[in-house]
Amino acid sequence: MLRIDIPERNNWKALAHELGFHFHTIGGEPYWKEDAYYQFTMEQVEQDIEAPTEELHEMCMELVDKVCHSNALMQRLSLPEHMWDSIHHSWKSGQPHLYGRMDFAYSGTGPAKLLELNYDTPTSLYEAGFFQWVWLEQAIEQGILPRHADQYNSIQERLINAMAHLGDRIEARTMHFSCIKDNAEERATVHYLQDVAVQAGLKAPFIYTEDIGLRAGMDHFVDLDDKPIHALFKLYPWEEMADDDFGEQIPQLNTHWFEPPWKAILSNKGILPLLWEHFEGHPNLLPAFFENASSPPLPAGWVRKPFFSREGSNIELITPSGQREAVDGPYTDSPWIRQAYHPMPRFGNNHALIGSWVVGDRACGMGIREDVGRITKDSSCFVPHAIV
Amino acid sequence: MSKHDQTPHLPRRKRSARLSLAVMGAGAFGLTACGQPPQEEQITEVRFDEPRSFQSVEECVAANIYTRSACEDAYSASLEAVPRFSTLEECEAEHGEGACTAPTEAQAQAATGSSGGSWFMPAMMGYMVGSMMSNTNRGRSFERVYQEPVYRNRQNQGNWNTASTQATQRVTQRNEAMRSSVVQNRQAAQSRQASTQRSGFGSRSSARGGWGS
Repeated sequence: MLRIDIPERNNWKALAHELGFHFHTIGGEPYWKEDAYYQFTMEQVEQDIEAPTEELHEMCMELVDKVCHSNALMQRLSLPEHMWDSIHHSWKSGQPHLYGRMDFAYSGTGPAKLLELNYDTPTSLYEAGFFQWVWLEQAIEQGILPRHADQYNSIQERLINAMAHLGDRIEARTMHFSCIKDNAEERATVHYLQDVAVQAGLKAPFIYTEDIGLRAGMDHFVDLDDKPIHALFKLYPWEEMADDDFGEQIPQLNTHWFEPPWKAILSNKGILPLLWEHFEGHPNLLPAFFENASSPPLPAGWVRKPFFSREGSNIELITPSGQREAVDGPYTDSPWIRQAYHPMPRFGNNHALIGSWVVGDRACGMGIREDVGRITKDSSCFVPHAIV
Repeated sequence: MSKHDQTPHLPRRKRSARLSLAVMGAGAFGLTACGQPPQEEQITEVRFDEPRSFQSVEECVAANIYTRSACEDAYSASLEAVPRFSTLEECEAEHGEGACTAPTEAQAQAATGSSGGSWFMPAMMGYMVGSMMSNTNRGRSFERVYQEPVYRNRQNQGNWNTASTQATQRVTQRNEAMRSSVVQNRQAAQSRQASTQRSGFGSRSSARGGWGS
């Protein structure tokens, strides 16, 4: 794994706009960066990222099954009791999920270490699945990369296959797509998923999360025309849905959700100590424990994370040499876990994080985010990768 | 690179051969790998054919519907998805006596990319190949083989397709009482307002800005 400086493509910003990638620059700061790329070998990708991702995914599925059969574990993960039935039922009936992302600390040698799962509302999907692929094709075409360069990326293709599979199983091949208002990046991610769904032969109408309706006498949540929503993709986390005003209605109504309710188990950082409990010593796992009232202050070499948080918020870490780093945020109302600190590789001033994508039950691609800090945040840059 | 490469094992390649956008962006976009110029076009129609079942790659090729590489890709994909067991007994415990076999050399190669390997799998009764045809506004058609299964077969889970109907009935019955009380409560609450409530999800979002991760 190397970080290699290269020229940018001519006019890539114009192309980005043409392709709907309006958030390549966020608040005046670059988000997409292509003045460098991360270089991997085929062995690194296949043995160190792809294979462990599939293995960890299977371990997660095993744990979901365990949690679904244990009220004690449901409780331990702070899953609201009114959701237990939906979670259990969605798993037992085999309701498929769509996608997820694992975040790894990996330096090119040694096992990749799982930092966390983003299995409910993962973003950076368009950048990884589409724009990164276009970058590689054009970089080869423009002689920036050699002709034999490749990329670990069949994300979009797999998404289309998965959507086609779901389309066969949902009413009228129609999946509604939703995200909250006033967030351009999330709207773009959802727009991309709508695009994928259309390519897979689905009808893919959009509705804002806030506009989802509840109507007396209806068996489903309803759209703006008060028509039933049979299947709904939500870029909105289960723990929030469950706590919202309509949360208690979820188990009463027949709307199928994507991600399905059982994903609430995996989008919760409490899964990290559970993974360690069940697979202690696995080379791709870091030691992790639930924090409790008698836990001592955070010692050096440990990271503290809330059960529910996004984009690095409310994460605190102390390196083995005692340097403290923390990101503020609003997620202070859930329990905490502690995870052994494992450094991300550093290239110049940048710490690189590997996002390894799972679509259906297949590992199928990756995207790299980098940040000057040790905690990856929503402002961390996306840098493309190639296998050379 | 030729899509019709006749060699049985294509060079490893970790990225998709082609991608396109149908609705996103200013002009819909299609790109093909390996140096063909990008073309602005839009997918206007997508059709699926009925997946067909074949006993072997040769039979698939002989049917003259799919290219050899499509037949091979689908075969590898279905082999990769076949559950593997380290002993014959474990396999038979799940799939029944006499239902399991060791992979042939070619199957091991197709499933794992390396020959040999001591494992067992349920004997394959053939494999499925289906294709998806996307037509564009420029009159081009993309044919893409779609390989089932996207999902692993998990022993403890129902088939969602059939289960969902039954489950819907079960849930409907089980929740009937609960719902009617909820509906009554809701109707009481709604007596002064329109019959559809909104803003029941996501209305606290402004505090946190976004939900992607």
